[in-house]
Amino acid sequence: MHKLPFDTVLIANRGEIAVRIIKTLHKLGLRSAIAYHEVDAGSPAVSMADLTIPISGRTPIASYLDIAQIIAAAHKANAGALHPGYGMLSESAEFARAVIKAGIAFIGPAPETIELMGDKIRARNFVQGNGFPVAPCAIEEDDPATFVSRARAIGVPLLVKPSGGGGGKGMRIVRDLATLEAAIEQASSEARRYFGDGRLYVERYIESPRHIEVQVLGDSFGNLVHLFERECSVQRRFQKIIEETPSPALSPELRTRICETAVGIARAANYQNAGTVEFVFSGGEFYFLEMNTRLQVEHPVTEMITGVDLIAEQVYAAAGRELALSQSDIVSNGHAIELRLCAEAPERGYVPTTGKVLLLEYPDGVRIDSGIMQGQHITPAFDPMLAKIIVHSPSRIEAALKAHRAVRELVLLGCETNASLLARILCDEAFLGGQFHTGYLEENPHLAAGTFSAGMSAFLASAALLTRPVREAADAVPELHAALGSWRN
Amino acid sequence: MHHSFEVDGVDHELWLSSSQQGYRLHLRDQVITPVAFTHRSDSSGILTIAGESEPVRFAIEGELIHLHIRGRTRILRYNDPLRACASGNNETHALVARAPMPGFVVAITVSPGQSVSAGMALMMIESMKLETIIRSPQDGIVDRIHVKEGESFEHDAVLVTLSKEGR
Repeated sequence: MHKLPFDTVLIANRGEIAVRIIKTLHKLGLRSAIAYHEVDAGSPAVSMADLTIPISGRTPIASYLDIAQIIAAAHKANAGALHPGYGMLSESAEFARAVIKAGIAFIGPAPETIELMGDKIRARNFVQGNGFPVAPCAIEEDDPATFVSRARAIGVPLLVKPSGGGGGKGMRIVRDLATLEAAIEQASSEARRYFGDGRLYVERYIESPRHIEVQVLGDSFGNLVHLFERECSVQRRFQKIIEETPSPALSPELRTRICETAVGIARAANYQNAGTVEFVFSGGEFYFLEMNTRLQVEHPVTEMITGVDLIAEQVYAAAGRELALSQSDIVSNGHAIELRLCAEAPERGYVPTTGKVLLLEYPDGVRIDSGIMQGQHITPAFDPMLAKIIVHSPSRIEAALKAHRAVRELVLLGCETNASLLARILCDEAFLGGQFHTGYLEENPHLAAGTFSAGMSAFLASAALLTRPVREAADAVPELHAALGSWRN
Repeated sequence: MHHSFEVDGVDHELWLSSSQQGYRLHLRDQVITPVAFTHRSDSSGILTIAGESEPVRFAIEGELIHLHIRGRTRILRYNDPLRACASGNNETHALVARAPMPGFVVAITVSPGQSVSAGMALMMIESMKLETIIRSPQDGIVDRIHVKEGESFEHDAVLVTLSKEGR
């Protein structure tokens, strides 16, 4: 193997993914540098990195999004490459361009690819134009005069969406064609208000869909492989909380079809580096949803079943090396599940929670990708995800049992988390039977609500025995009086 | 003597009495004998309750007792009788704008001494990447602003105190 063309990599991210990247960099004999805001000074990533460069801004998140400061930090660290992680600036073509212009290798695809896939309608048209399946759709700006009749031709149920928006705002479901025109008018006025852009498109609404995505990996020599699919249908507010591979919904034939489709799409886009093609899957059919031009949060499940270190592959691809893996080298082995431990209270509508981590004990025998440590403050400045628990077992049911045991053994005191929701899902019949879709948690509100009273006496007993005034009051009363005591005194 | 612990907004009254092997736990609808707690470290121990042993992880933070038992985590707040009395008698007429969720101050749009009307924006906060405007709960005069721009705060923190006009 030739030496890599860089010896230091700047990480433009934080939390668990920064830790994850540092681990691979050290394994590859590279130096790790991190740009960090002072609220993260006590985080594991900052203590593990070889070089740390402080950055600042109006808010912590603003400093991590400040392109000029990040590039200055990379120069300061003498970094020859930059890893953007996920979120933050990872899908900004402008950032990727600025990094490359500064003479630093960007660990990700080409800026043009980020741009192509970052625009929903352009990406969709590109995928359809290359002969791959997309949900039937009518786009207003193609020909505004015929928009309503083209939408009508798709047939119900329909989903009316703003072209320039996101996050579910301005979307409407139409189940009766008689209400189509009114829905279009309302959606357009909402879209103007929210996004300053009233353009719409209409697509077939998929009932009870699953979210299935495929990991791909490409290099600058035109080699492209897939690393199988990930099932990501357990979501709250469009955000995944449990991911697994293989998907319990796919037959071997469908698996081959969906994985080959993903490779075809990536090849058409001349995709280089790691990426993920997301699909909507329902009733044995799948449609292209979008392509994420970066590493995904849930990449570890793929690493577990294939044995491939995806971050190492990303670094090699960015260094201009040819992919060492061919498709036949990549074999799926066993079943992997990832749980996202988040600082939030599912019992109270998933509100974010905060606090100081007073006690942290991770379970043995599982992979933990963690961005926190004991003594650290969980602040509301960032995404609520704290850590990921990843298990790997020969079968799905064994993986679910192992994950259930692990999430119950995990001790995090000082900040409320979603751990009990995760535990409840892992023993829910629908989940264990593989029968779920993206609306699963909304349709089963009892999973988030939990049971308040179960096992309360052990908690009350412990609290009473650990509270000095309560113990002292008992010690002060002789046993006989205590025996006669009642609620009246 | 009764004691009270709050869990998820619900008060649980209880008291302990001594018994031959440890303590008796008196709950509203049952008495459990014996109960005992053996410390293993400063954050772990074994609870014995009605003949069963349960490993317990704990952390104590003022009146908050964080517990992990059998895969479940709960926070119990000890309602100190002295403290409860003090705040109960101290009903004031100060108006406050509290934080609906933990967050960061993005911008403050009022200053002390300024008169504000109900619904007027006091400050913009950011929480989990969402910006929210904190509005005045009532007409009044800005008495004190308890946070600075860029500063973080917890859920329910007092952000702005208002006083009644002409007080």
